[in-house]
Amino acid sequence: MAKKNLNYVQPPPARRPLKIYAFDPMLGRTPENRITIDIPNERLAPGPQGERVEVIDFDGANQFYYPPVNLEDPAILMQNGLEPTESDPRFHQQMVYAVAMKVIENFDIALGRRINFTRGRLRLFPHAFQGANAFYDRSLLGVLFGYFRADKIDPGPNLPGQTVFTCLSHDIIAHEVTHALVDRLRRFFMEPSNHDVSAFHEGFSDIVAIFQHFSFPAILRRVIQETRGDLRSPTEMINLACEFGYATGAGQALRSAVEPDAKPDPKLYQTITEPHERGAILVAAVFDAFFTTYQRRIQDLIRIATGGTGRLPEGDLHPDLVNRIAAEATRTSQTVLTMCIRAFDYLPPVDVTFGDYLRALVTADFELNPTDDYGLRAAMIESFRSRGIYADNVSSLAEDSLLLTRPHGLEPIHIERNLAMLLMEKTQEFSRAPSALRKEAAMKKSPTFKPSAQVGGFAEAAPAEEAFEIGLGGAISGMLTGYARRNAADLGLNPNTTKYPVRVLGFHPVFRISPRGQLLVELVAQFSQRDGERRDEFGGVSLRGGTTLVAAADGTVRYVAAKPLPSKDYKGPWKREAELRERRQTGFVRECDRNDAALAWTSEGNYKRRIAASMNFSAIHSGVLR
Amino acid sequence: MSTNETSAAKATTANKTTPNSASFKMSAAKKSAAKKSGSKKSGAKKTGAKKTGAKKGGSKKPSGGAKPPVTPHPLKVSDRKHVKIRMYNVGFGDAFLLVVPHKERDRKVLVDCGVHSSGPNVKHSISEMARQIVADVTETDGVPRIDVVICTHRHQDHVSGFRDSSIWETVEVAEVWMPWTEDPKDPEARRIRETQSKTAKHLTAALSAKQKRLGASGANARQLAALAEIKELVDNSLTNAEAMFTLHEGFTGDPRRRYLPYKTHSRNSFKPRVLPGVTVHLMGPSRDFEVIRDMDPPKGKSYLRLMDAAAATDEQHTPFHSNWWIKISEFNFPELRLAPADVERIKDVGEGQELAVAVALEKAVNGTSLMIMFQIGKAYLLFPGDAQWGTWNAALNHPDWRPLLERTTFYKIGHHGSHNATPVEFVEEVLGKDFSAMASTRHMAKWKFIPKTELMEALRKKSKSVVRSDKPDPTDPPGFKREPDLFVETELKI
Repeated sequence: MAKKNLNYVQPPPARRPLKIYAFDPMLGRTPENRITIDIPNERLAPGPQGERVEVIDFDGANQFYYPPVNLEDPAILMQNGLEPTESDPRFHQQMVYAVAMKVIENFDIALGRRINFTRGRLRLFPHAFQGANAFYDRSLLGVLFGYFRADKIDPGPNLPGQTVFTCLSHDIIAHEVTHALVDRLRRFFMEPSNHDVSAFHEGFSDIVAIFQHFSFPAILRRVIQETRGDLRSPTEMINLACEFGYATGAGQALRSAVEPDAKPDPKLYQTITEPHERGAILVAAVFDAFFTTYQRRIQDLIRIATGGTGRLPEGDLHPDLVNRIAAEATRTSQTVLTMCIRAFDYLPPVDVTFGDYLRALVTADFELNPTDDYGLRAAMIESFRSRGIYADNVSSLAEDSLLLTRPHGLEPIHIERNLAMLLMEKTQEFSRAPSALRKEAAMKKSPTFKPSAQVGGFAEAAPAEEAFEIGLGGAISGMLTGYARRNAADLGLNPNTTKYPVRVLGFHPVFRISPRGQLLVELVAQFSQRDGERRDEFGGVSLRGGTTLVAAADGTVRYVAAKPLPSKDYKGPWKREAELRERRQTGFVRECDRNDAALAWTSEGNYKRRIAASMNFSAIHSGVLR
Repeated sequence: MSTNETSAAKATTANKTTPNSASFKMSAAKKSAAKKSGSKKSGAKKTGAKKTGAKKGGSKKPSGGAKPPVTPHPLKVSDRKHVKIRMYNVGFGDAFLLVVPHKERDRKVLVDCGVHSSGPNVKHSISEMARQIVADVTETDGVPRIDVVICTHRHQDHVSGFRDSSIWETVEVAEVWMPWTEDPKDPEARRIRETQSKTAKHLTAALSAKQKRLGASGANARQLAALAEIKELVDNSLTNAEAMFTLHEGFTGDPRRRYLPYKTHSRNSFKPRVLPGVTVHLMGPSRDFEVIRDMDPPKGKSYLRLMDAAAATDEQHTPFHSNWWIKISEFNFPELRLAPADVERIKDVGEGQELAVAVALEKAVNGTSLMIMFQIGKAYLLFPGDAQWGTWNAALNHPDWRPLLERTTFYKIGHHGSHNATPVEFVEEVLGKDFSAMASTRHMAKWKFIPKTELMEALRKKSKSVVRSDKPDPTDPPGFKREPDLFVETELKI
C-alpha cells in the first residue's frame, strides 16, 4: 500500500465474499453447510466496523473484550474471510457481520432506498451475555447475542454441556437484525396495542431468516435432490435455529415455516396469543403462498423432463433439472421476500394487524406488477384466508377490495423546490462513493444507554431528530404538518389537532423499476397522533393513531393506510374503525392481564407499564429467543 | 345430633374456664374433648381423647417450643337447613372446613390446609392451626373425623399444614381428593409433576449459586433481597413431599384416594356416598391439551435448561481460550470501546430471568388446581383452588358448567384474591347478586396486588357478604361470625 500509480489502480470490487455457517455449527459439521456468501463491499475497520454496522465483541459476563477481526488484512482477504470455526471469536465477528449485511441488503433492494440507522451504526455484540437468548435492544441500538451450555441430559446431536453460540446461527442473526430494521422503519411496532403487533415483529423476522436460506444455491440444490422438489418437507431449509432448539433440550428445531401437519387451521389465529407462536401463523401463510407459486412455476419444467407425464421417475433427478428447479426456487423466494419487505411502505405507522399486512402486501405488489403473472398475489390472499386472517373493514377478499383506501378529491401534496432537491439527492445516494457515506456515518455517534429510556416511556423519550426518516428540512416537515392538519378528517387523523398534535414520523421517496421497465417514483409520508392521557388504562401504552400516505411523484395521493383515533368528527368508516380499535386495545389489555400471573407479584411501577414492558425484547421472556 | 349440640355448648363454657398456662394445656384439651362427648359413652371417648392427646404431645416435642392451648371450636350447624363454611385464618394460605348437616352425623369436608412460609398468621403457626382443625373436627366419641379431605393443588400455601403427619394420624378420613395430576399411576400426570418439581429444584439451585456468587462479590443488598424474594416464591412450588405423603399415605381409616376429574366427563358430576345430600361437580383441571399446556412451565424445557446451565456454572463460564481475553483497560481500539453506561447495561442483560421462571412455575402449579362445586340443596359452593385462566376459560365455556357457575351462592375467592385467579368475566357476567364470598389472604407489602383491590370492590359491588380472613375491615357484614386470629364462618341456606 505504498505508492500508487494512478493509472493502474484497481477500482474496489462491488462485492465482498465471506465464509459463514449456512445454518449453524451443528449442521456445519457437514462441509457443504460451510458456505461463502457475498455482500456489498465497503471499507472496513477492525471490528468489523462498516458504514451501517459495527461488531463490538465485549463479553458482559466475563467483562473482557475479544480482539476484533480485521477483514481488510490480506491474509484474511485472500481466503474469503476466516474459516468457519467455533473456537476463534474473530470468525464469530465475521459471520455476524456478513449475515447482518445480507439482511440489510435485502431491505435496501426491496425498499428501493438505502436504509440508514438514523441514530448511528447498528451495533452487534456476538458474545454479550450468558444465556440461551439473543435480542435487539433499542436503547443500545444493538443486537445482543448470548452463549450457553447445551443441555446436559438431552442435547440432541450436540455435545452435552458444550458451549452453544447464538451468534453462529444464521437464523438468529437474521431474525434479530430484522427486529432492528423493523424498529427502524416502524418504531411504534414495539408498542403492543393488539395481539398481532408483537407477533408481527416475530413472524416477519422469521420470514426474512427463512427466505434467506433459499439464496444458498449449493444447499438448495442438494435439498431439492433429496426431497425431489418438495420444499415443504422437513429439512433445514424450512427449519429455524436447529442447533438452538436441540441444545435447549427441545428435541427439534426452534420453529418451522410449515404447520406440524402442513394443514392451515383457522382456529390458531383465534386462540394463540404468544408472540412467537402467533408469528408462526404469519410465517406459515407466507411460506404456503411461496410454495404454491413455486410449484406452479416448476410444473412446466417437470413436464418437459418427464415427457409430459409430470410424474418424476424413481431415483435421482437429473442435475440439469435440479439446477433449473433451484433457479426457480431462488427466484420465487427472492420475489416473495422482496414483496414482504416492500409491503412496509404501505403499512400504517401504528397498531398493525396481520390483516393490515395482507392489504399492504397486495397493494405494494399490485402497484409494481398489476397482472400478477405467476399468481403470487392470489396465492397470498388464499393462504391468509385459509388461516383465518382477514382485514378489518374490507367487504370481500377480492383483490381490489383488499387494496388500500384510495381517497378521491384529496388535496395533492405540493411538490416545492426543496422537495425536488431531496428527490435528486436520494437518487444519487446509491451511486455515491462509500467513503463519503462513511464519513457521514462516523459523524453520528452511537447512542449511549440511558436507563430512563428503558422499558415503558421509551417512545415518548425519543429525541425529536429521530422522528424523521431522513434529515427533513424544517420547510418540508412544516409543509407536511400543515397538509395533515388541513386534511385530517380525510386522512383518518383526529381533526382536533390542537389536543392531539400531528407528528410527521417519516417522509421518503421510493424508486422502483416495474417488471415492465418503468421507473416508479412514490412519496411515502407517515403521521401519528397520541392520546397520552390514557396510558395507565393500557398498561403504559398510549392510545395512538396514525396514517401512512402514499403519493405519486406529482403529489397526487394514491393510498391511505389509517389507524384513526376516536373522534366524533369523522365522516364515513373512520369513526367505526376508531371505535373498533379502541375496543380491541381494551380487550387486549384485559386478555394479557388474565394470563399474566406475574402481575400478582409485581411492583406498582411495573404494573403501570406492564403492557409496554412486555415488548421489551430483553430478558423478561428469556429462553424463547426474542 | 342434639346431644352433640348440647355438649358443644358445654364445651364452650369449659373453654372459657380453661386455664391458659402451658402446663395445663394438654389436660385441658383432654377435658374439653371429654366434656364435649357428653353423657352417652364417656368412658370410651375419654380413652380415645387420651390417645390423641398423647400422640399430639409426642409429636410436638421434637418440633420444639411451648405448646399453645388448643381449644376446640365446635362446628355445630344451627339447623338442618343450613350448611356451614369456616375459613381458618392461616395467613397467606387456604384452609376451609365445610359442614353439611346430616340426621345421624354431620359430614365434614376440609379443603386445603397450608400457608406460605413468608406469610403465616401472625399469632398461630400452621401446625397450631392444623391442631386446631383436628380439635374442631373431633366428634363426641373423641375421634377426629373428616369425611373428605381435598387438596386442590400441591402448593405449600395449600398443603403445608399436612407436613407433620403425626398431627393427622388419628384423624379418621373416608376419602382424600386430589387433582388428577397427583395420580401416581398416570404417566402424563407424572410427567407434569416431574417437570414442575425439576424446574423448582433447578431454580432453587440456581438462585442459591447466584446468592453465593453475589454475596462473595459484595453485591448490593437490594439485589440479594430481590433474590431472596424470588426464592420464597419458588419455595411454594417445591415438591412439598412430606405434606403430599400425608395426603397419599396418612390419616386413619384407610381412606380412598380419588384423582379428579375423571377422564370420562359424565362421571364428573356425582353424589359421593360419604357425603349424603351433596352433588359434586368437578369443573377442572381439564385434561385438554390447552389446559395441560398451562401446567407445563411455559416453554418448560427451555426454562429447565436455562436453570440447569445456571446451576452448573458455579464457576465462571469462559467460552474461549485465555489467549483471546483482553481486559477492558487494555483494549486499545478506541472506536470500539464502549461507554461505561453501556458496559453496565450489558452486564445486567443476562440477569433477572429468575423471576420470570419463578412466576411461570407458580402459575403452572396453580394451573393443576382442582376446581370443585358442591351442590347442596339450594346452595352452590364454588371452590376453584387457585385455578388460572386456562381452567376458568374451559369451565366458563362448558355447556354443563356455565349454568352451574351462574348459580353460585358461595365463592372461595381464588388465589388469595389475586387478579389472575378470578376472571373479570366471571364476576361481571356470570356471578349473580345473591352470594357470599371469602378470601383467605394476608396483605403483604411486597405483594401489593394480592388481594387485588379492584376484584374485591367488584365483588362487594355485587354482594355485601364478602369477607377476608385477615379482617382489614372493622366489622364483618351480617351473617359472618369471627373468632379473632382463628377463623371466620358463615352459614348458608340449603
